[in-house]
Order: sequence, then structure tokens, then C-alpha cells
Amino acid sequence: MIQTFTQDTLLRYVYNELPAEEQREVEQALLHDPELATTCADLLLAQRSLDDLRTAPSERTTQNILHYSRTFPRLK
Amino acid sequence: MDTMQPSDSALISLYIAGQESAFAQLLERHKARVFTTIQLIVRDPDTAEDLLQDTFIKAIHTLKSGRYNEEGKFSSWICRIAHNMAIDAFRREKRSPMVSLDTTTHPFNSLSLAEEGTEAMLTREETHERLRGLIQELPAAQKEVLLMRHYGDMSFQEIADATGVSINTALGRMRYALINLRKKMAAQPVFDDSNLYPRHPAPVRVQRVTG
Repeated sequence: MIQTFTQDTLLRYVYNELPAEEQREVEQALLHDPELATTCADLLLAQRSLDDLRTAPSERTTQNILHYSRTFPRLK
Repeated sequence: MDTMQPSDSALISLYIAGQESAFAQLLERHKARVFTTIQLIVRDPDTAEDLLQDTFIKAIHTLKSGRYNEEGKFSSWICRIAHNMAIDAFRREKRSPMVSLDTTTHPFNSLSLAEEGTEAMLTREETHERLRGLIQELPAAQKEVLLMRHYGDMSFQEIADATGVSINTALGRMRYALINLRKKMAAQPVFDDSNLYPRHPAPVRVQRVTG
């Protein structure tokens, strides 16, 4: 029997926050429920577009932080 | 492979014990996520660079003074520091949205962009700039959850605890944030998927983030 899932469960699925058993149940349902699969795809596409916004700081900033760490005394 | 990499906890222990290279690894592992979180709040690359330094300097002080509390994940902790600093800076300066003309730093310094042709790079950057704009248009509560979950690596429960709401509220805000973004993107032709991620042809169903 195919279970129905809430949108929140699907969201936790795409962010990998479901327990293994529940994750498998969602994956089974995705194979048989086109509407659920479409909703899931929409969430994943939004995720991917957000991933693409990820940018790194300049090398200068990275070096400044590392330099600060090297010169900051251990207080413990 | 990830399984061969030392955990954040192990790196923190090594750093506290005096191994500076462990901190370099931590920084390398988390700097882009933290930087993106800050940049999406303050919207000014130079300010974001400064705040990233301030964030990690605060972490250095806490770690080297033995005040670091191992209870939570390092990634969530560092992102909460960054988030708070960025929000404080944004409120303090009441900065208007700015577009930097400095192309030597951002956003053209991403490796994926550097390998592409100029036209494709500009199209993608325009698309990304509009997406950043759409994120700014989200209601504050939705934007907060989106940044904490997507870039801050905080679980929905951690976000709920940090923001004083139930996990269902945190989930609902994130869901509406993603739905709102997709709706707005669908309404603008520039968000054709090929402008966003032509370099990732794999089916979306296998692209779940790893936690």
C-alpha cells in the first residue's frame, strides 16, 4: 500500500532529515505517485538553484583569517 | 572520499591542541557556506568579506580560550555567529541593496564560472543576481529559515530552537520560501533551468543534499 506524505515530510526528505525507514517509504511512494514526484522535483530544483549561489570569499580574506589564528595566543 | 576526512569535532580537538593546519581545514570546509549566508543578508561583497573575518575571529577566540561548547555541530554554531553578525551589521548600517562593480572578487571567483565562456558566465551571473533579489523579497521569517537550513547546515529542529518557534512552523516557513522562489522563478524567462545549472545534467531525483 502506498502511503501519503505531508509536504513537511517531503521537505525533510529532500534535506535528508528523515530516519532511514521513513526515507525508504518516501522513495517507494515517489516511484508510484507522479504528483508527489512533481512536488519533490520542484523542491529539488529550488535547492539546486540555491546551491548555485554559493560563492567563496577572496583568498586575501582566507589568508587574513589564517594569519590571525596563527598569531592569536592560546589563552587556555 | 568524505569518509577519509576528519570530522569537524576531530579538527576542533586538534586545533585546540595547537595544530593550526586543523583550523585551515575547518575554514576551507565551511567558508563558502558561511560567506554565502552573510552575503545574502548584507548584499555587499566587501562587507561580507569583513563579516566573514569577524565571524571566524570570534570562533578563534572562543576555541583558543577553551570556551567552545561541543554540544552542537560546528557548522551550525559558526553559521549562527555569522547570521547574527550579518543581521546586526545590516540593521546598524541600514544598507540599501548595492551592486558591486568590483569583478575581481565576486561573484566571478567561483570555480564553476571561471571555466566557462564570458557570455555564459554573464548570463548565469545575471540569473544568480536576480535569484539573490528574489531571496531578498521573501518575508523575513522565510528568508531566515532558508539561510539557516540551506547554507547554515542547521536542522529544522535546530532552527526551531534558535528562533523560538515549533519545528512545524520552521518547516512551513521553509516550504513557503521554496515554493515562493519557484513560482517567481517560473514567472521569469531568465530562470530557464539551462541558465542556472547546465553543468549538472543528472536527474534531479538523485540530487538530495547529504546531511
